[in-house]
Amino acid sequence: MIEMAVFALLAVLTIVPAALVVTVKNIFHAALFLVLSLTGVAGFFAMLGADFLFVVQILLYAGGITVILLFVVLLSGSPKDWLIRQMNEQWLGALAASAVFVAVLAGLFQYLPGPESISAVGPTTELLGVLLLREMVLPFEAVSLVLLAALVGAVLFTRRGEGK
Amino acid sequence: MSFQTPWAVLGPAVPSQTPEGIRRRYQRSVLLVLFLLGAVVLASVWLGEPAIRFEALMSRLSELVARKGWPWWVPDFVRLIVPCSLILIFVQLVPVFVLWWELKVAAHIQVRLGPMHVGLWHGWAQPLADGLKLLLKEDIVPAGADRWVHFLAPIVAFVPAYVCYAPIPFGADMAAADLDIGVLFVLGLSGLTVIGLLMAGWGSNNKYSALGGLRAAAQVVSYEVPRVISVLPVVMWAGSLSLSQIMAAQSGLWGGVIPKWFIFYPVIGQVSFLIYLICAVAETNRVPFDIAEAESELVSGFHTEYSGMKFAFFFMAEYAYVFLGSALGAVLFLGGAEPLPLMRWLPTYVVFFGKTMFLVFVFIWFRWTFPRLRVDRLMDFCWKFLLPWSLVNVLLAGLVFLVRWG
Repeated sequence: MIEMAVFALLAVLTIVPAALVVTVKNIFHAALFLVLSLTGVAGFFAMLGADFLFVVQILLYAGGITVILLFVVLLSGSPKDWLIRQMNEQWLGALAASAVFVAVLAGLFQYLPGPESISAVGPTTELLGVLLLREMVLPFEAVSLVLLAALVGAVLFTRRGEGK
Repeated sequence: MSFQTPWAVLGPAVPSQTPEGIRRRYQRSVLLVLFLLGAVVLASVWLGEPAIRFEALMSRLSELVARKGWPWWVPDFVRLIVPCSLILIFVQLVPVFVLWWELKVAAHIQVRLGPMHVGLWHGWAQPLADGLKLLLKEDIVPAGADRWVHFLAPIVAFVPAYVCYAPIPFGADMAAADLDIGVLFVLGLSGLTVIGLLMAGWGSNNKYSALGGLRAAAQVVSYEVPRVISVLPVVMWAGSLSLSQIMAAQSGLWGGVIPKWFIFYPVIGQVSFLIYLICAVAETNRVPFDIAEAESELVSGFHTEYSGMKFAFFFMAEYAYVFLGSALGAVLFLGGAEPLPLMRWLPTYVVFFGKTMFLVFVFIWFRWTFPRLRVDRLMDFCWKFLLPWSLVNVLLAGLVFLVRWG
């Protein structure tokens, strides 16, 4: 009962700001709604007992990436660029595509095994660490290499203008 | 008399300004301070461990509930509500005390007395008077402001501070929520405050505010990285992210003399502590890292357009974070509530507050000793000095672990 209420609250907190992100005209407001939506997702992690993912979601997405987004908004352009129409003529098609995607996902989720009980879930950090550094060490390192390559690439792209 | 005090220019000598008078006054002050400290220590020893007292009260409540036939959830509810309310009240009181402490320490560093009149004894009620003044002030919203963002910014800046106090162990078994991911929780959620600063910068519709918000964001996001990495060796050593387990890992003595606090681990401990301390000061946007407020350049940065209680919220958030950074530093590096040698009779929370207040003093000492850094120097210092050395520190810690247990 309480679980259902919390779930509903978090769902509203996630979906409504997410919809506002792509509809409000003010880019800064859109970025702030994105923070709210990502925090809602973090709330889902907390509710499902994934404590590590909850904090990482807050640390990286709500506290890191969106701060950089807000930063870029403040730095970019003149005030008239901050108020733009976010949608073009294809919004109806995009809406239909998203609806189909949601329907397919909802259909798929019926065949997934559900968690036995939410209250039985314990701390996950240690399990996650052991999993990442023992069985999954190769994919983990591969992902970190890809991220490193992306980082070096980003530096390379931003440096190009300086050399000329 | 040939001796002249610096303030003799103010008028004829009154008895308290002659050398004997000054000596007598100092003796009286020292005695008073010693008496107050003794009274606090005695009272705390008499009170004992709050966790044990609370448990006794709770068991009595459970009995009462069973006898009177009250609903089953009453004890659980009380167990939930009491620590939360205590934390809420505590976070309100922390800025009051730290502000007075800062006023007095700052004054004495600058060879003056600071507030002396409000509250009759060394101006102890000055922060309360300041708070009352801020409450009564007019709340001004700029005409061109983004009203909602301007209104919500102080709240977004302050609320994470409340939440971050939840996993702090104020003594043995005194964490409101002993989370398995305590360290990450505090470091992660305290990062949310910067969104409030950015909102203030945008919502005020003022170029100084916007610049202050920008600088705050750049600074906090940058210093977050070495701060988290500097904590890693501690986490590696304790084998846990839970603050109470990190505290427990630091109990005991080496050779019966040196406490096993993390700061006493050779090289690695000291380097991590220094990096942590610098980053913690930088995260609170205080001098020498206060480019986000920089009065001489930006009026007062992101809170230029704030007045009254909204300004007070930014102010309280800063002091709440000063205390939080000190408390976290005390738990991670100074053994938290682990007692000092020869002082095992002290209740754990007194030990914890002693260590934390020492670190708060270091924060204030920093502020009134160093000049402000330039923006680019600040970024260079973070990315080109702190980050590489914190990484080297982690590698070194890993090497030690490999040699010892590899």
